[in-house]
Amino acid sequence: MSTVSENLPIRSISQEVTNRSSIYAVCFCFLFSIAPHFLHLPVWVSLIVVVSLVWRCLQNHGKIRELPKWLLIPLVLFGGVGVFAEYWTVVGRDAGLALLTVMASFKFLESRRHRDVLILVFLCYFLIATHFLFSQSIFTAVLMFATLIVITATLVIINRRDENIVVAEILPTSARLVMLSIPLMLILFVLVPRVPGPLWGVSNNQRGGITGLSDHMSPGKISNLILSNEVAFRVDFEKEIPASSRLYWRGPVMALYNGYRWSQSRRQVLNRFNLTVAEPPVKYTVTLEPHGEHWLLALDIPTKLAADSVITEDFQLISKKKINDLVRYSMESRMAYVVGTDETLAYRELTLEYPQKTNLRTIAFGKSLAERYQRSEDIIDEVLTMFREQEYVYTLQPPALGDDSVDEFLFGTRRGFCEHYAGSFALIMRAAGIPARIVTGYQGGEYNNVGNYLIVRQSDAHAWTEIWIENRGWIRVDPTAAVSPSRIEQGIDNALSEEGSSFRIRNRNPIFGNLLYSWDNLQHSWNDWVINYDQRKQQNFLSKLEIGIDSWSDMIFTLVTSLVAVTGLFWFVVWYRERPPRPQAYEILFNRLLKKLAKQGIQKKSAEDTRAFLRRVSEQGFVQSEQLAKIVELYNRIKYGRSGLSSRALDDMRNLINSIQP
Amino acid sequence: MFSVSLPSPIRRYFDTWFDNHNPPSRSAILLHNRRLYILPTGFGYLFAIMLLLLFFAAINYQNSMAFVLTFMLTSLGIISLWHTHKNLLGITVKLQIPRPVFCGEYCEFKFEVSHSNNSKRYAIGIQYANLPPVYLKLEREGSTEIKLKIPTMRRGQFKPAGITVFTRYPTGLFHAWGWLKFDLPILIYPRPSTSVKLEQSMIEQYDGQTSTSTIEGDDFAGLREHREGESLRHISWKAYAQGKGLLTKTFQGHARPSLWIDWQRLREGSLEDRLSLMAALVLAAESEEQKYGLRLPGTVIEQDYGNAHKHTCLQALAIFSQSDTNQELELEHG
Repeated sequence: MSTVSENLPIRSISQEVTNRSSIYAVCFCFLFSIAPHFLHLPVWVSLIVVVSLVWRCLQNHGKIRELPKWLLIPLVLFGGVGVFAEYWTVVGRDAGLALLTVMASFKFLESRRHRDVLILVFLCYFLIATHFLFSQSIFTAVLMFATLIVITATLVIINRRDENIVVAEILPTSARLVMLSIPLMLILFVLVPRVPGPLWGVSNNQRGGITGLSDHMSPGKISNLILSNEVAFRVDFEKEIPASSRLYWRGPVMALYNGYRWSQSRRQVLNRFNLTVAEPPVKYTVTLEPHGEHWLLALDIPTKLAADSVITEDFQLISKKKINDLVRYSMESRMAYVVGTDETLAYRELTLEYPQKTNLRTIAFGKSLAERYQRSEDIIDEVLTMFREQEYVYTLQPPALGDDSVDEFLFGTRRGFCEHYAGSFALIMRAAGIPARIVTGYQGGEYNNVGNYLIVRQSDAHAWTEIWIENRGWIRVDPTAAVSPSRIEQGIDNALSEEGSSFRIRNRNPIFGNLLYSWDNLQHSWNDWVINYDQRKQQNFLSKLEIGIDSWSDMIFTLVTSLVAVTGLFWFVVWYRERPPRPQAYEILFNRLLKKLAKQGIQKKSAEDTRAFLRRVSEQGFVQSEQLAKIVELYNRIKYGRSGLSSRALDDMRNLINSIQP
Repeated sequence: MFSVSLPSPIRRYFDTWFDNHNPPSRSAILLHNRRLYILPTGFGYLFAIMLLLLFFAAINYQNSMAFVLTFMLTSLGIISLWHTHKNLLGITVKLQIPRPVFCGEYCEFKFEVSHSNNSKRYAIGIQYANLPPVYLKLEREGSTEIKLKIPTMRRGQFKPAGITVFTRYPTGLFHAWGWLKFDLPILIYPRPSTSVKLEQSMIEQYDGQTSTSTIEGDDFAGLREHREGESLRHISWKAYAQGKGLLTKTFQGHARPSLWIDWQRLREGSLEDRLSLMAALVLAAESEEQKYGLRLPGTVIEQDYGNAHKHTCLQALAIFSQSDTNQELELEHG
């Protein structure tokens, strides 16, 4: 017989109005989740976030009235139009994020119910993922881990349905939930079969503000890059690392010169090329940080292609996709080679061109060299000797140069960086009738003894020249080596030590050097194991484990089994900790006594207190009433006394009970 | 949770199965594993959809950290399943026998919720049917008392059916609950009709005077307001002198008139109307401090008065059932 009529309002639990502390918690949680995006969101979007949250909190505090509902529609429209005006789209990473942020901020203004705040919390979870579209570094991961704890704590606060929240009580609860999730997450991460993407078109987001090489070179271009201490790429060598002076990492090659800047020429893709080699190949794996362009870095001269890449006529390794994410590729290079002896006439002519109206002194100097020497090698030697013996200075802070930049540098300031030396050298060569081009890239690197790999930073950026000589092909000539041999042999730090700049971990921080190398090693492993854990890596790793996970079905089988095992283990722990308390030892002894008495026909009444029962029995003239009285006394002492004293008393009690005649 | 109506054989099977797993209790119900149920909430499903979206986004952008996040949240979901279940496990709910009320009044259910585990429990809701739930929390090995006010709509033996203890703590992704079935003698008295006077004709058999007053008697019982037509002899002039107005002295004694509240005499209205009227008469007679008896088909309660007698009569009215009337009707026709 039901006593509740059907016309009572059916109230879903999620329809209930949430409490004040939940609102504050969600506001804080959203701010925490979105704050790192303030760096790249338009200022007005960040302002909307802050204003909305402050408004909602004040409203929660009872200081201001709720915003009228009708006002939300124009606000939402304004937000949408604003985002469109900013990006000219509403999809894609940046515009999508801005739109989501604006709409979520407005959602806060009308959120009162349990349902609304829960949806906002889910949105915060989703926001974590958007951060990974910008960065996947360890730092981001740690920050997002903290965010995960904050969001989960908010969820706990909302579901506590209690106005009095002690944050110090909530955070450990949330942290425990998140920590307990880690083992299962690891299983899923390793074993869920990875599908190669993308599933739908991914717009190539411009990665603004990334430092790296450029597709052109002018004075000051590379010296700016040198100031950045960021890692360009890391290299694991299969065998020993070659000498630093031999590590020329080939990047964009520039053959076009307009009198001020060098830029890349359009070059065909090579299918095969003639190569004479003298040494066995060097094998290594490069983990390249994203730079937003197509080129890949490889040691001079690459003889094997990385996956999804091609090689051009000027021996540049080009990726088919833009490097917007970290990539890892295995390479093979030959470090002693003869290449390009069959270079086309058209290209040789291209690499002889220069504007006739600027840098006249340099051109005249080049032409005079051509008249004085027959052999190209002599001309090269002459110029290098000039750099070496005259007052040329290798410096990061060269004076500014005017229109005839090479003239001013060569015959005036004589202070320059690698691009000055390479650029002027190449121009002199061309004027002297020797085909010459600029190669940019990196030179050297820093050895990490903790992880046994090489770190190449932006500060290792370098420019050198390649000269074409009949029968010898393209030969690398590095004029910087003539000016500052230590730059090539010992690296940028030693070459610039007088200027006080330092890029090497060891030099910057002699005390914590190893610690910093360990940190860099951690980043390297992170890149290798987390960021680059794709289908290929997964297959390699699982088959290397040699427990017979070779196919998808094996993977799924292992996945399910390990999930069930871990879940079962956790379940058991929960059950074990929450099981009903076992009867105390003295209660068990007591029951034994009761059974003995029952055999003699002395029954305990069901409602009777055990002590009262025993007292009654002894008062009734039970034969061993003395022992019974002692038992009662011990029982009281154990049950109500201090816990530490009970073990001896328990033994006594056991002996006494054993002495009771059955 | 579900408002889907199942075909009756399946429903019956389910009900039997359910009753076997959730036997009604006279005292306390311990929520152990077999009594607990757990299903995702609407938000749980929403969360799952979000995870799916994240997973596809991770594949699409080949973003490893997005995979990590997806798997982390999946694990969080699984973990919170255990926690939600654990939050309710081992809780004992005890319902004290509620005091009988009249139909239409709120019946107050007093629950004692306790547990003996070394963990705190939060946001445990107790809900009656679809009334707003009441939430409570439990300290370590703690216990709490809470009251639910349940509106009553029908007189009679009241079996509280739809009491659930539930929780969604800590994440709100899962709804764990246990059904509480109590086999307690809870009675709902008929709703007493309003503005009923004893003078009405449906009261049969007065012993002695037709007056309703009890001013004739041996023992002084107290004072009450003077009514028009009463003898001035019984007015307490002492009280009048004290400025308390006209008060009549009342007496208890042999002269107390007694009456019968008889089913047969109340012909008008439906069964429930008649019972309501009788309940009202019982209350009126009790407040008038008269002796009264109750005659129902198949039941006769001898004349008496006092609180216990009142409840006996009201109980008889509460449990009086249709089948008895049918018999009576048959008899009349026969």
